Amino acid sequence: MGLVQRVLEASGIATVTLSWIPELTRAVGVPRLAGIGYPSGRSFGRPHDADGQRAVLRATLQLLESASGPDAYVDLPFEWPESVAQARNASRDIPHPPIVDLLKKKPWLLPLLYTGRLPRADSLPPEEGMG
Amino acid sequence: MPIDSYRFLDFATRKIMQAWTARQEPGAIPFTPLARPLRECTVALVSTAGIARNDDRPFDQEGERRNPWWGDPSFREIPAGTTEKDIRIYHLHVDPRFGEADLDVVLPMRRLAELAEAGFVGRPAPTHYSTMGYILDPAELVEKTAPAIAARMREEGVDAAALVPV
Repeated sequence: MGLVQRVLEASGIATVTLSWIPELTRAVGVPRLAGIGYPSGRSFGRPHDADGQRAVLRATLQLLESASGPDAYVDLPFEWPESVAQARNASRDIPHPPIVDLLKKKPWLLPLLYTGRLPRADSLPPEEGMG
Repeated sequence: MPIDSYRFLDFATRKIMQAWTARQEPGAIPFTPLARPLRECTVALVSTAGIARNDDRPFDQEGERRNPWWGDPSFREIPAGTTEKDIRIYHLHVDPRFGEADLDVVLPMRRLAELAEAGFVGRPAPTHYSTMGYILDPAELVEKTAPAIAARMREEGVDAAALVPV
């Protein structure tokens, strides 16, 4: 997302990202970033909590006006109302993404994910190729 | 940065995210000052939740299942007024149920409209956007998808955009 933000900003649109993994987003190098300590899948808050969602969006948009130069960063003061265990348990029954299933079968491929040296599609066996 | 970016992640995911963080080499960061006061700006939203309208093409989950190193780098337009009843979330790395119960947790179009009514921003753009956030090779995302989104935003007079990784 940070990469998309950079392209939009360079094309003349002022941008801000709201990120629940702000350390990674900031490392990409973005003009304006608001970090939030919320879990994945619900960056603006809990479903049906309109007041909470609006407060997060408002604080995020505020940075468009308050930032004076690139790499502007704020930690938003919002606290997720559940424990880490509660937040994770809410999604326990979701199937693993395909890359997790693959790496469980072939753990020696894990360094490729760390380093970003991805296998080319045409070097994969047919059942893993892009078809 | 007192927020713990990895607090809600399991051990393996945390290690991978930290490795990706260490690997970034950002170079110069672009910066466009806000063209006018926020209360006069047209604002668009971009979400990486992999949201597609039910009358639009889904994000390609089968392609990712065939090659787990690949993620669909395309984007979908989400017109203002679209609700959770009109969409599905096609991101295989996040729990889609929160956003499918209330789209505003991943693409807060109703909240943006309320902030416009309250005079905090000028107006919502007619169109908002979704990509799918699991993209290990970002070439097409950066070279095709992001410029296409930027072009659509310029056509609609967008001054500012808020982006959200999901």
